[in-house]
Amino acid sequence: MNLEFTQEELDFQKSIRAWMRENVPEALERVSALGNMPTKSQQQQWERCLGKQGWLALTWPEQYGGPGWTATQRYIFDIERAMAGAPPTSPFGVAMVGPVIYTFGSPEQKERWLPGITSGETLWCQGYSEPNAGSDLASLKTRAERKQDHYLVNGQKIWTTQAHWADMMFCLVRTDPEAKKQQGISFLLIDMKTPGIEIRPIYSIDGHHHLNEVYFTDVEVPLENLVGQEGMGWTIAKFLLTHERTTIAGVADSYYALARMKQAIEDVPYYTDKPSARRRMAELEVELMALEYTNFRTVAATDEGKPFGPESSGLKIKGTELQQKMSQAMVEMGGLMSLAWDSSSVVGNESFNNAPRRYNFLRACTIYGGSNEIQKNVLAKMLLGL
Amino acid sequence: MEFNLSENTTMVADTARRYLKDHYGFVTYNEQLNQASHCDPARWQLMMELGWLGLPFPESIGGYGGELIDVAMIVRELGAALCLDPYVDLVVAPGKMLEYIGTERATVVLQSIIKNDEKVACALYDCHAGYSVHKPTASIRDGKLSGQKSFVPDGGCANRVIATARIGDELALLLVPLESCEITRYRALDGSRYADLVFHDIEIDDGMILSRGAETSRVISQVIAWLQALDCARMYGAANALYQRTLEYAKTRKQFGAAIGSFQVIQHYLVDMFTDLQQLESMLFMVSVKAELGNAQERDRACSAAKAYYADKAVKIAQQAIQIHGGIGVTEELDIGHYFRLMTHCSLTHGHRDYHLDRLASLSEVNGLG
Repeated sequence: MNLEFTQEELDFQKSIRAWMRENVPEALERVSALGNMPTKSQQQQWERCLGKQGWLALTWPEQYGGPGWTATQRYIFDIERAMAGAPPTSPFGVAMVGPVIYTFGSPEQKERWLPGITSGETLWCQGYSEPNAGSDLASLKTRAERKQDHYLVNGQKIWTTQAHWADMMFCLVRTDPEAKKQQGISFLLIDMKTPGIEIRPIYSIDGHHHLNEVYFTDVEVPLENLVGQEGMGWTIAKFLLTHERTTIAGVADSYYALARMKQAIEDVPYYTDKPSARRRMAELEVELMALEYTNFRTVAATDEGKPFGPESSGLKIKGTELQQKMSQAMVEMGGLMSLAWDSSSVVGNESFNNAPRRYNFLRACTIYGGSNEIQKNVLAKMLLGL
Repeated sequence: MEFNLSENTTMVADTARRYLKDHYGFVTYNEQLNQASHCDPARWQLMMELGWLGLPFPESIGGYGGELIDVAMIVRELGAALCLDPYVDLVVAPGKMLEYIGTERATVVLQSIIKNDEKVACALYDCHAGYSVHKPTASIRDGKLSGQKSFVPDGGCANRVIATARIGDELALLLVPLESCEITRYRALDGSRYADLVFHDIEIDDGMILSRGAETSRVISQVIAWLQALDCARMYGAANALYQRTLEYAKTRKQFGAAIGSFQVIQHYLVDMFTDLQQLESMLFMVSVKAELGNAQERDRACSAAKAYYADKAVKIAQQAIQIHGGIGVTEELDIGHYFRLMTHCSLTHGHRDYHLDRLASLSEVNGLG
């Protein structure tokens, strides 16, 4: 057993830390420090900056634009990125559709779509959930009818994060309404500027617009935008669930949140109950450490060529629960200061004024990406054999 | 021991529920969220006709002599309806303050509140003092008031505030016209209207000093106890509404070809919500009786226990309601998320969980387990 980074890894860490110090824009750092989310242009500027370094598609094979790092290096990068106050990369391009395209796509598709993802130029969104297909995703109904030279898409998606920012959507559609539930589903790439697409914003309880409903009315999608074969959609969706998820626990960003919390307490000179705040933060830190070391094991296993499968569902469960706990602790420690929802001036301390927004937003993290109840079903079935 | 509500209290609760059903809904709430003033003249008139403005106060000064439990039933229904009408903030809080002060001058102001002639709010908190209401940072020196107040729940429509301040070592309650303060207004977490006030050397004449000295502290503690009990009442109303809606949703929402309520995990979640709700109701009855007691220690122990319990369990019910609803639960479009914000809000007013656990521990220390 060896719990230390090697000298090379430590050097790597040093160089990444130095680079982050130089390159994370101050405005972006401030957004993160207050627990807010970047604007589209802030996010995209940052991703382009990473793209120029070849540091966007970290898990990809080098031939498609990955940096050729080990899982340990990727983990180090993620920590340094978060602690420097930079946001996580939007997952839809680099973590989701990219790996699908280089695994299942045609040479033409790879050539056409991958460069835009590794450079940060093309923004993607995920068209999975529908009003009646949430946890039961396979009951989705959005129809793609095969015509002469295109698919005709009709239907509706919901909870589509950043659809209003996106250039492209990867979408699960039903190509064969006769086939059994999972088998009639296909994986389609849709240009968001195609006529017939309508986006309606959904405001979430943090008061912001991240989510959308997307309506398709006779949307014509070129046949060459089908990834894999017709009917392969479900296989592809399942592939994504087992694709490397060593950062799914959100350890890096939780460490950053903990540091912010400590800072906020120190920033309020008249904070009345520091001992109990500190004790609470220590409790959270213990949980975070347990998560971190579990996460380390998945990282090490990946580097040994034995990547985790369904176990990563456990990381998602623990990681999201901890994110929620931490954001709740922040709100509670803020006391009355957490009540100032939309004051134009600071009431006591800005981080505490903002805390409820993040807390509210994070209620979704045990729901999105497969609710924690579904994750537990996966573990029970695939790992425990129940 | 007896846990039945009196006929009178039951009637107050039923009337409140009916009134809100007829005059307030999620649409009204959403409109109110965006209004600068939360005092709707028509509803205020109706509340007066229902007797709510006089209910918390003794008959001797023109009130209807209700008990805390009666007011709690109204506030429970306001919570259940998500209603933002500042009844507690502009009637109960300032009114009880004035009643407990009990001077002739205070009674005159109280009577104008009961008659709906004016709106008065309480300014008890500031950022520096936190929950320590007996140690305000605002002070009077040479007849001039300086300092600030935050988190003043004035519904966007009060014309005067009852504010705490220090005069030397003494604690005082002052009646300050809002027009003499610098005001920053904002929306609070639950959607209600808050104000932050800055006092720039406001001239204080004797007529503005409602109370000073040792008595003042006692008055404030009595009022805060009421407000803590009413926080619990509001949270109970919201928790019950969340439970009912979530249960209904679990019965109707279908996934995997079945109502999600047929899944064991959802059943257990709902049973947990139900049993917690039952205990929350017990704590509400307990605190509604004890928060009115003359024995300060027993009163404060009850209030701290109830607030600490609510900040844990009622908040958990709200979190679970969102989880069971899934995506739709985190949107502004459904009332679930709004109840959730209300719940977080009330868990932080008049002392959060840590504050109350500490207070309970210190109150218990002095006299053993008694």
